[in-house]
Amino acid sequence: MALEDYRTDMEMCCRCSICKFVPLEKLTEMRHSYTCPSIARYNFHTYSGGGRMGMGVAMLENELEYDEKLLEVVYNCQVCGACDISCKYAMDMEVVEPINEIRIKCVEDGHTLPALDSVISSLRKQGTMIPGAKANRGEWAAGLDVKDITKQKAKVVYHAGCRVCYDEDIWKIATEAVQLLKVAGIDIGIAGENESCCGGRAYQMGYKMDFLNQAKKNMEMIKKSGAEILVTGCAECYHAFKVLYDKFGLKNDLEVLHVTEYLARLIKEGKLKPTKKVDINVTYHDPCHLGRLGEPYIHWEGKPVAGHIRIFDPPKEFRRGTYGVYEPPRDVLKSIPGVKLIEMDRIKEYAWCCGAGGGVKETNPEFAGWTARERLDEAESTGVEALVTACPGCEQNFKGAINGYGSSLEVCDIVELLAKAILKGGQ
Amino acid sequence: MALKRELYQALVDVVGPENISEAPVILGSYAQRGRPKFEAVTLPKTTEEVQAIVRLCNRFGVQFKASSSGWGAYGDAGAPGVVKLDLRRMNRILEINDKNMYTVVEPYVIYAQLQAELMKRGLNCNITGAGSNCSALPLAAHQGIGHLSVSGSYGERNQLALEWVTPDGEIVRAGSLGAIGQWWCGDGPGPSLRGIIRGNVMPMGGLGVFTKAAQKIYHWPGPATFPIEGVSPHYRPNQIPPGFMIRYISFPSAENLSQAAQKVGESELGFILMGFNPGMISANIATNNNEDLAYLKQFTDSVQGPGFLIIMAGNSPRDTEYKKNALQQIINDYNGQPLEAVENPENAGGFMWRFIRVTSSIREVARASGIFAGEVGGTDVFPLMHQYIIRSSPVKQRYIDEGKLLADGTDPFVQSVEHGHAGHAELLIRFNKQDPESMIVAGEIAQFANKTAIEGHFGVPGHAWGDAVHDQYGPHTLNYHKWLRKIKKTFDPNAASESTNYITADD
Repeated sequence: MALEDYRTDMEMCCRCSICKFVPLEKLTEMRHSYTCPSIARYNFHTYSGGGRMGMGVAMLENELEYDEKLLEVVYNCQVCGACDISCKYAMDMEVVEPINEIRIKCVEDGHTLPALDSVISSLRKQGTMIPGAKANRGEWAAGLDVKDITKQKAKVVYHAGCRVCYDEDIWKIATEAVQLLKVAGIDIGIAGENESCCGGRAYQMGYKMDFLNQAKKNMEMIKKSGAEILVTGCAECYHAFKVLYDKFGLKNDLEVLHVTEYLARLIKEGKLKPTKKVDINVTYHDPCHLGRLGEPYIHWEGKPVAGHIRIFDPPKEFRRGTYGVYEPPRDVLKSIPGVKLIEMDRIKEYAWCCGAGGGVKETNPEFAGWTARERLDEAESTGVEALVTACPGCEQNFKGAINGYGSSLEVCDIVELLAKAILKGGQ
Repeated sequence: MALKRELYQALVDVVGPENISEAPVILGSYAQRGRPKFEAVTLPKTTEEVQAIVRLCNRFGVQFKASSSGWGAYGDAGAPGVVKLDLRRMNRILEINDKNMYTVVEPYVIYAQLQAELMKRGLNCNITGAGSNCSALPLAAHQGIGHLSVSGSYGERNQLALEWVTPDGEIVRAGSLGAIGQWWCGDGPGPSLRGIIRGNVMPMGGLGVFTKAAQKIYHWPGPATFPIEGVSPHYRPNQIPPGFMIRYISFPSAENLSQAAQKVGESELGFILMGFNPGMISANIATNNNEDLAYLKQFTDSVQGPGFLIIMAGNSPRDTEYKKNALQQIINDYNGQPLEAVENPENAGGFMWRFIRVTSSIREVARASGIFAGEVGGTDVFPLMHQYIIRSSPVKQRYIDEGKLLADGTDPFVQSVEHGHAGHAELLIRFNKQDPESMIVAGEIAQFANKTAIEGHFGVPGHAWGDAVHDQYGPHTLNYHKWLRKIKKTFDPNAASESTNYITADD
């Protein structure tokens, strides 16, 4: 697919501005009623989903020349998909897909931002999206006694992801996940030093070819390992393996699970028993790539039926965020004795983004921090002690915002809470 | 033409560099395709900033145009050389006065936000039928007639005091605001400018900028938040609040429908009463166009003729009982027939909330093809509007038969305003906007509607705006167009307020 393939979608936009707000049926108060960080921060209509649809058509018509402002608009967007959800409550048109394609076109036309080029350069050289990464990728697993899938067979492969591997402060997300899976008796392995970036963020930034290179490399290694299930604790990796790899016909039969899905399943089956009390009031942040963007990809090929209503042959089923991963993380939290979950105003398919996605953290840290600050305010308004999430990218960005702006909130991953309730040394 | 650097810098000084742009990528998103682009877009935050921008435009001989949520194309520039005021940063609910039953908002508060805040206080507001995504400023969203107008009236009648930056940059505070600094009355003490500033259908951005306004609010007998569950697009409440009931009733003839609707008004039964048709009911429940077509067939096959949708909200068990019994009596008297699919427990709650929050207008008017089109009747006595829309609508079927419009089942409808005190009629059309023939047809339908209104003495409908249409109606309607021009000339001596969709001062 290319931007041109979404021309009629973009032309459907009637400029109703519903993409700027949470789905109106769910709006319960004035505050927290916006859904798109980009328009909320920059205010010009252009920054909204609808504005981007007009921009896409104008690019196709060669009405816009590449300039600094155009690239600034293009990349000041987390591609979080919130606009897509609110629009598709009512409309039959793609929104986030053309936004991705606009970026791909920019890259293909040779117009991008220096900060992104630096990240991609690192990916090409080191197989990671963390420029200047010096630690060894597999160091987080030292002493874990877990299989190396490049040498041993394992049914399940755990993919830690770049953010965890190169940030010692959050290694626990991966180490405790592996420990929990081992407690449940899962035949699990990791790729360790041979693990490589999923490529998902490269795709979000518009570097489609780099994404595809990573995807092919990863699937080749997984195929060789014989693993049937890939588990990851990173929402971005989850989205890449489950949705993007499938979109490009690369996923094959691999079952892709976010660690919260797997843990919820194991708890339900009685293979994991959270018994130790963890007294804490928490709220849960739905990562965009696990929630609304994490629903399965739907393959469709067809054409519009001529006439006065936009229908297709065969009928096209739009991804509207309905089947994202919303309940498993909540089920895990609810299974932990002593944990009380208090929801924020914007949750599930209309959750406010943490701010890190789409390359924004790399190109505009101020905007990434501002977006996180908005979410922290929302979390604080629930009166909880901790903001719990299920993605290291979100966790890092929230912690960065707390360092910058201050907050009494603790930020942690669901895995860490569950580990406290199950693993030795837990509370 | 680019703005003079001196003017651009002066605008930067007013709003700050972050809140102004003349970059092509920004300007492009403020113009619908093929329409002229603005020279610059500004994002004022305060009335004083609006005033400063307006004064600069007057000083430099440049036109300006403001809009709030900006859905309608009438927020666009009619010609090059115009500065845009996007009022998005003016987004505060300034007051909710539950004692005196009014609220004050800035232009970029949308109805969904206002309604949500009001419901928490046992209050509610009228919402324009276009949807709760529209500005809640009672002077922003066209006439402001909508689903709740049967119990919650409409923009012109709800509007109270207001703050207005005139086309030449004066700040005028009308109604009680102008005399005693309070918002509760639009007509005094202090100057009443209701007729001057509103005209028949609002100046559509052509008479300065409305920066704050008060409006009446109403009693809400429901819960503080409607108990909505599910994931988009499958939202529905987990229960229907006590005292609430929804029904769709079809009738054997348009005449029966009209009389039954008037009886419902006389009996003050309706919280919502819309002359909806199967096409609008099917669009409302369907989550995509394919479903829409299937529901349309199902509902069309299940009704006996034209119908209305009614939501009743009882204030007490006795009131609820009265309303149920009275409605049943009307159904019996006029041979009405319920549409079971609307009131069955699986669907009823979802329908109810979509109509109360007015979330599905986009499904109803835009999902089919991305275009919002139709003919709008005026707001006059209910039977007159009923006759008008019946007489002006047959042309639609001809174009459907010729394949130029969608056979969408959206028969003309009339809605009751203030319990039948008045009526408002509309005819929706849907078509492929890429089809040039259909675009011509839309214009022809409008012309037929105008001819019908003039020849049948039905008054000036709500779709009358712009010089050409006013000139068409004026000579038949007390030469109102001449008065409108005098207003324009008096308040906008420099023709600074861009008037493509209002009226220009030129005779």
